[in-house]
Amino acid sequence: MSHLTMDTLVGLREPGNEPGQSAAREHLNGCPYCQAELERLHQRVARLKALPALRPGRDRWPETMARFNAERRQRRNRTISLTGLATAASLAAVLSLGHMNNLNVTRPQEMTAEQLSQVMERSQVLESALNDYNPDGRVLDGRTARIAGELEDRIARLDQQLEMTELQRQQASDQDLLRLWRERVGLLDALVDVHVTRASNAGL
Amino acid sequence: MTVIPNAVRGLPPCLPLTIRIVFSLCNRQADSRILNSTMARTLLMDSSLLANAETVVSRARAGDTEALGELFRAFEVPVYNLARRICRTTEDAEDVLQETFFEVCRSIKRYREEGSLWGWIRTIAASKALMRLRRNKYRDTDELHDEVVGNRREDTPLRMDLEAALERLSETSRAVVWLHDVEGYTHEEIAEMMGKTPSFSKSQLSRAHARLRSWLGEEMIP
Repeated sequence: MSHLTMDTLVGLREPGNEPGQSAAREHLNGCPYCQAELERLHQRVARLKALPALRPGRDRWPETMARFNAERRQRRNRTISLTGLATAASLAAVLSLGHMNNLNVTRPQEMTAEQLSQVMERSQVLESALNDYNPDGRVLDGRTARIAGELEDRIARLDQQLEMTELQRQQASDQDLLRLWRERVGLLDALVDVHVTRASNAGL
Repeated sequence: MTVIPNAVRGLPPCLPLTIRIVFSLCNRQADSRILNSTMARTLLMDSSLLANAETVVSRARAGDTEALGELFRAFEVPVYNLARRICRTTEDAEDVLQETFFEVCRSIKRYREEGSLWGWIRTIAASKALMRLRRNKYRDTDELHDEVVGNRREDTPLRMDLEAALERLSETSRAVVWLHDVEGYTHEEIAEMMGKTPSFSKSQLSRAHARLRSWLGEEMIP
């Protein structure tokens, strides 16, 4: 009498009914040897599942987070550069259209456009200063790292808002955009301060 | 004959034994259409590892780094355990852990809450571990190597004979055994992750069980 092979026994544990399984089950019902073999297989799998969990020897979260922050910063720089270009282009288009059509561009609109351009320029200068400082390549103490991390988070959230506002440009006013950009510059200023203050305190 | 209850598929060993046994008893006794589904089991995992998973995920999506840290802490051990069972060294497994959570941080906004969080993270981890396996191109052999068996893993308890037998399997066989029997993936899912066919996964599994059976001191089926 031939017993069930390991292939068949393993197949019997699968859900569903594959070809040949009916015959195998029929054999199994009448064969104590194969029943014991299948039970052994079940128990082996249960023992595998019961193996103790292996734990990492060291904490990999700080490295993971640092890598993620670095990538997020690079992405943000790219996005903001593109957003800045798009905003500048759209403002220029609005102003030139107004001129071509001999429309009276009101004074406050011009003021806002000019202010927006200045704020965006300031933002780029601060971004550039931050990149030159290369915060990813430096070691921060816990408190400074926490403050810098919070500022980075707030800037990231603000960037999301800016992206959304840019997308809904028809509904959003330039004043909204100006307010967000000003807020961004304020946060970037604070972030540069945190790094520079820390560097001067540490004599770096 | 003493019957060890089958632990629930997809329930990693990092959970306390009592919880695993309760789940496994439920698995045998309760309505199989509910508890036997992979999604139900991995959803149980979410709530057991991270009580307020939904809130943490929404915070993480909004860019909250503390929430990302909470996700890491909650799933760090099951991810490492999965990676360690597939990869040969602790260094590789730690790298997989880092790569997995880097991907989680990047992609959390794309995570749809249709399935379980653990199911999603686990698939990322399994893919990263299998990628590492392919990249390292370890010699794929079932033969016993002195350098492997002589040096037991530093994070492996000494009393585990099954650990040593599992380690003696080829990289591919071990990955298939772990993903199928412990993590609960189907042969089709394993085949897709490995870039092979379901038949390949099935044959690897039965060969691995035949070897484990033999190495654990049981006689082969005639």
